[in-house]
Amino acid sequence: MRAALARFVIGQPLGAAGAVVVVVLIAVALLAPALSPHGPKDAAFAPYVAPSWEFPMGTDQLGRDLLSRVIWGARLSLYVGVASVMFGVTLGALWGTVTAYLGGAADAGSQRVVDSLMALPPIILALSLMAALGQSVNNVILALVILLTPTAARTVRAVALGVAATPFIEAAQAAGASRTRIIFRHLIPNCMASYIVLVTTNISYAIVVEASLSFIGAGAPPDEPSWGGMLTAGIQALETAPWMVFFPGLAISLAVFGLNLFGDSIRDLTDPRLRGGLG
Amino acid sequence: MTMSLSRFTRLAALAVAVAFGVGTVAAPAAAQEKPRPGGVLNWFDYGDPGRLDVHAESPLVVQQATAGVYSGLLHYDPDDPSKVVGDLAERWTVSPDGKTYTFHLRKNVKWHDGQPFSSADVKASFDRVLNPDFKSPKCGASLKPMVASVEAVDANTVEFKLKFAAAPFLPSIASAWCRVAAKHILTKYGDLNAAEAQIGTGPFKFKKYERGSVIEWEKNPNYFIPGLPYLDGVKQFILVGGPTQLAAAKASKIMLWDTWPPMRKTQADELARARTDVDVYQASINTLFLVFLNSKKPPFDNADLRRAVNLAIDRQDLVTKALEGAGVPCAILDPKLAGDFALPLDEVAKAPGCRPKEQDIAEAKKLVEKHHPNGLDIEVAVRQVGNYVDRAQLFLSQLRKIGIRGTLKTHESAAGYAAFGKGDFTIIATQDRAMDITDPSAVFHIAYTTQAGSNYGQYSDPKVDDLADRALRESNRDKRKQLYWELQRYLLAKGDHASIAVGWVEGWFFKDKKLRNYKPGLTVYDNNTFMKVWIAQ
Repeated sequence: MRAALARFVIGQPLGAAGAVVVVVLIAVALLAPALSPHGPKDAAFAPYVAPSWEFPMGTDQLGRDLLSRVIWGARLSLYVGVASVMFGVTLGALWGTVTAYLGGAADAGSQRVVDSLMALPPIILALSLMAALGQSVNNVILALVILLTPTAARTVRAVALGVAATPFIEAAQAAGASRTRIIFRHLIPNCMASYIVLVTTNISYAIVVEASLSFIGAGAPPDEPSWGGMLTAGIQALETAPWMVFFPGLAISLAVFGLNLFGDSIRDLTDPRLRGGLG
Repeated sequence: MTMSLSRFTRLAALAVAVAFGVGTVAAPAAAQEKPRPGGVLNWFDYGDPGRLDVHAESPLVVQQATAGVYSGLLHYDPDDPSKVVGDLAERWTVSPDGKTYTFHLRKNVKWHDGQPFSSADVKASFDRVLNPDFKSPKCGASLKPMVASVEAVDANTVEFKLKFAAAPFLPSIASAWCRVAAKHILTKYGDLNAAEAQIGTGPFKFKKYERGSVIEWEKNPNYFIPGLPYLDGVKQFILVGGPTQLAAAKASKIMLWDTWPPMRKTQADELARARTDVDVYQASINTLFLVFLNSKKPPFDNADLRRAVNLAIDRQDLVTKALEGAGVPCAILDPKLAGDFALPLDEVAKAPGCRPKEQDIAEAKKLVEKHHPNGLDIEVAVRQVGNYVDRAQLFLSQLRKIGIRGTLKTHESAAGYAAFGKGDFTIIATQDRAMDITDPSAVFHIAYTTQAGSNYGQYSDPKVDDLADRALRESNRDKRKQLYWELQRYLLAKGDHASIAVGWVEGWFFKDKKLRNYKPGLTVYDNNTFMKVWIAQ
């Protein structure tokens, strides 16, 4: 285990740096109640207090401690990112694998649905869904699931089509294995690498979409400590309290940067064409 | 008294700003300059009005969208907004008992479509707003308690019979909400909502309404006052949200910000740094910041829970943070605007909900625990305009202290009004209500009586109705003052009304130094016709 970790750090130094950021993000999210000095929604202090020992990231326009909100924002971002990706990518992967194996009209029909969903600009689709569903964190997740599912279905279908054409699948069919058994015992395990890459790379995408929706007032409810929502409040006082933009902006950038580096390294590790290079 | 104080607050603020250098020589120069015809005035609406029926709606944006298109029987003098003067009425007489007003109308006035104006139009308009089945939250709400009937005596004379001699009658008739609409237009369209139905007799014709974008008026060349208006037109951009409004102001896209929402201090400072060609001034806008509880639905059909919310609201904190200190917390009537009709602020500060919070919070918690031992989860509605969402977040933070956990439900401006009007809410976290007249009766017929135009919580208290009615009918000023004091004391002490006053709103505004002869009205609704405004070279 230690040797594998050392190989990962040496072979993927950027990925390792990303992993550190991801671990910190997860730790902050999990330990938010213990780490945050104040309640994220408690407007108990003077507004627009500049960063100081008492308030390391200052306070916002309502007198809420920005550090506490940024910490709780990590929890919200990670929750939205992980939940939407787990549901969206898993659903898409199942959809892609099953229709790839079934082929024929089922595959052609489902791919036209995927085409339709992918033809819509993602942020417009997400905005429309939020307008229809109403503002809530769970509705953001639902909107993201609807965004992520077709992409995952298309990607995993392509891999599944390749796997389905391999001799061992034909052998399984010849041996009388049922469709369900072939899909779940043979196809899905052989598509797992793509699935893992999709999961790791899409969490940062989901975090950015959530922040974007909240920034334009269509994401998490305004009192929820969303990094995007904090940016919106910050730009209204950009000259007075630039820290209101700086710290949530920094948090989004760090989280996305770390997740992308980590995701890229996972992709490199699971890509057979690149695997040899790790030596 | 109320008028002079209001006038002082609003007009003197501008004068003080000018005297202290921000206005330089604009005001004296304006007095000597010859009005210059031409030019288009740009300003803004805080939201999209959606519907345009000035008799049936109450949002300020509806008033702004149509102000210059219509005329009233009377209006506030554009040269001195503290005075009520004739508009479509050349003159009027009052019977000795004060119960009959006879208005003599201007002759040869034409509607914008060329049809002649007559007393039939006045009767049709006021019959409409006075119809008990017609919901008229501004004009109707203020006139219905006073007016018994309207009769057209002849083509140029109209008579109003009152139920009693009412002091606020003339100011109410002069209100910008009591505009005269054309009978033939009401017959043709059924209401005044459509852009095509905006046919008035005012200084400007309604030119264009692009939903969510802009409203435009153009000069009425056949306006009944020769030589007016000076402007070729007025353009109102629909700018939603503080950052958009401030960005437009900083980029010189608008020439005037004398409307709701006022700028906060930080915004005014930012604007003053960006533009030196404007006069920035602080003023009150005769507007009350309210919270509404739905008394017809659980949980706030329970008086204990309404009382708990009343106790939990930290008005001082809301005014300090949401209004950046520019406001008068707790008062049901603002002494700056209503003079001695308002309870003294030191007495108000001792009332439940306004006194130091520890005692109130403890009491409120007990009231919530009595009915909901595990606390209470509710949906809190708010329109996404001005800084309402910020205010709502502060409000939620205060409710959490007494065990009420709220989830925000945001509404687009017009959709919010529609939902609130239907009673489709549990709590409205914040809603500013501007007074349509400066008389102390306004606040009660807007927010507190059973028939109040903005009694969103649908609360009815016979004692409130009785006191408000007696005060309205009372002609002796001292007795009237005592009745209003009794009413304010009753509301503050009982603390279970579904309309909760948080405080009176003040803020910062600006006008371009090139803008001449603009006089802010005593209410945010009045003097927005720009009939005598002109733009210097």
